[in-house]
Amino acid sequence: MIEIEELCIQYPDRLHPAIDRLTETVDRGEVIVVTGPSGCGKSTLCRALAGFIPEMIPAKVSGEITVDGESVWTADPARVATRLGLIQQDPDAQICTLNVWQEVAFGPENLCLPPSEVAARVEQCLAFVGITHLAKRTTTTLSGGEKQRLAIASILAMAPETILLDEPTANLDPEGAQAVFNLLRELRDREGRTLIVVEHRLAPLLPLSPRVLVMNKGGIVIRRATRRHEDLVALGLRAGWDLALPVSAKHGEAVPLLVKDLTFGYNGTRLLENLSITVEPGEILGIIGPNGGGKTTLLRLIAGLEEPDDGQVIRPKDSVLGYLFQHPHQQIFERTVRGEFAIEGAISDELFRRSLDAANLSGLESAAPLSLSLGEQRRLTLATTLIRDPHLLLLDEPFIGQDRANVAWIIAKILAARAKGAVTLLVSHDIPLVNSLCDRLLYLGSEPIIGDPRTVSARLQMMEKDAFTPGYWEGETA
Amino acid sequence: MIPRVSYSMGEKGLHRASPEANLLLLLGFLVAVLACPGILVKLGALALVFILATLSGERLRAFLRRIRFVLIFAAFLFVAQAISIREGETLFSIGVAITDQGLLFGAQMALRFLVILSSSMLFVMVTDPDRFAHSLIRLGIPYRYGFILVLALRFVPFFRQELKTVREAQQVRGVSPSVRNFSSLRRAIRYTFLPVLVSGLTRVDSIAISMKGRCFGLHPKRTVSQESHWGRMDWIVVGLLLLLIGSTVIARRYTWL
Repeated sequence: MIEIEELCIQYPDRLHPAIDRLTETVDRGEVIVVTGPSGCGKSTLCRALAGFIPEMIPAKVSGEITVDGESVWTADPARVATRLGLIQQDPDAQICTLNVWQEVAFGPENLCLPPSEVAARVEQCLAFVGITHLAKRTTTTLSGGEKQRLAIASILAMAPETILLDEPTANLDPEGAQAVFNLLRELRDREGRTLIVVEHRLAPLLPLSPRVLVMNKGGIVIRRATRRHEDLVALGLRAGWDLALPVSAKHGEAVPLLVKDLTFGYNGTRLLENLSITVEPGEILGIIGPNGGGKTTLLRLIAGLEEPDDGQVIRPKDSVLGYLFQHPHQQIFERTVRGEFAIEGAISDELFRRSLDAANLSGLESAAPLSLSLGEQRRLTLATTLIRDPHLLLLDEPFIGQDRANVAWIIAKILAARAKGAVTLLVSHDIPLVNSLCDRLLYLGSEPIIGDPRTVSARLQMMEKDAFTPGYWEGETA
Repeated sequence: MIPRVSYSMGEKGLHRASPEANLLLLLGFLVAVLACPGILVKLGALALVFILATLSGERLRAFLRRIRFVLIFAAFLFVAQAISIREGETLFSIGVAITDQGLLFGAQMALRFLVILSSSMLFVMVTDPDRFAHSLIRLGIPYRYGFILVLALRFVPFFRQELKTVREAQQVRGVSPSVRNFSSLRRAIRYTFLPVLVSGLTRVDSIAISMKGRCFGLHPKRTVSQESHWGRMDWIVVGLLLLLIGSTVIARRYTWL
């Protein structure tokens, strides 16, 4: 049993506490889903429960957390880990070794179990998450979904009573996310583990009959046990987007983006074969599909960062390109926010102020961009991209790690670019959102499908690819 | 340019030898090139590195590409020594006099550098870091230190990928990678290393948390679950080691070697 009493956590450089007088009890075998906007304290709570705060992450703490009666404040995180295992958001960032078998064995070896017991646990956990066939692979060659399964197997191998998962599906494609949700169900049904899951997408978790905790500003504002989709709607937790897209205006002489018979592959794998698409000015083309299906590769080919094996990309002559990478920090180079706006050339003070205000970054002119929150960094990179009024806007997973307010801001910017006649290509795993926001969808899987969102979803439904249809995420098939 | 220093999975040649045997062979190469005064043994050692790389499943062209930066730097060393050493008999002149001693010393330096670096890269290429860490632990080295090596190698592909991504981000934003003067050099360094450093530090934090969260450091010792068995390939490696040591002893006796 986990007991949290009057928990307060404040990071040294922050004005407000990340967790503010939070009290909660988690019983053995319970399934808890924690949700709430970015920065509300979800990840801090996970790290505190796992004993990493303040031992490894400095912060001022008060109150108490006990796991089976033992305080986590006084215990070494390695000891807490024998009872409570944390699976972090980015599967790639938690792999400690170079081989799948070794990775799962890493925890049991640290527990000083006999080699025969280590081997037995590794075999059992690999089988449980369905990756026995990958046992001999190097960890760097796995896909995102395989890495997340490996991360789960690695924690299971230590047999902790409680498993904490911090947004385990954030970096996964819809099918990878679906597999993780199914795995959680197995863990609850077959193993009876206590599960604490931080997640924004609630509908697929309803079959686990979870207790939903909604956090805001460091505290829990709603507690509700439910397995009904209607309850989520009543609590305002259904995160659908009902966007009424205005009819795209004609944009005079503007030229479309042409992709002709594009073929590309590497390491003997064909990613794209004879792909032909035309994207009109003022059109948003959503690109969906499994990890490794060629979505980012297509953007890279269009941006000229890769050379096609065959075929060609015809961009409007002298078109200005705006390309937003998946991780904002990779596109931040300057020491101040002001400097970031001037990288591609000096801009007028008035334009700078206007862009800053539009991105809700006023007052941060002299701030170091890398010290901003993830949401602020994303707004900054999009604002610096849009300042040149790009004709061609390439967006690679712009919504990852963003709360609803930020997503709404990004949507507004995409729609504004659309209204100005920009050709927009949007890669995203957020299936309900791309279905609402995009004029057409391109599914890049074993067989590419292109069309209006409704037609593409219907085709995917027929192909039993439920996870790529909005119904799965909005609770219609959950 | 980050050299491709990373382990490649394989079943051939030195891949089948134990990490201990591969480490002994690496030490043999180091002793041979550092203890021999002449260039013949160094040339032989270099040829042996190429042969072993090929027998271990790496195509010669791929291995040459892997050690490309070593070859470039070795050529630079050779030229620098050849034009800066004045002693010896002048063979020809290219504005500066090139002497026989300059060429010989340059060749020695370049070969020494080449063998040390290429044999080290061969060792990294054929030795599974996890097994190597376990070998070090078996040899009595505290496991915390053994795992530093595994983590270091785990970070090499990450940094290579991150650097590539950052350069592409610069390209997309129209930041020129060319270095024309000190100011543009400073800018290029800042624009490249700052984002890579931030990614690296973030990744270090996550992995440290992940290791602690998997009970790393809970006990003074940890289980070594993969046993290493001395096999036929290990004896072949020992034979090669003896060959290197024998050649070194002979070369030291006949210094012209």
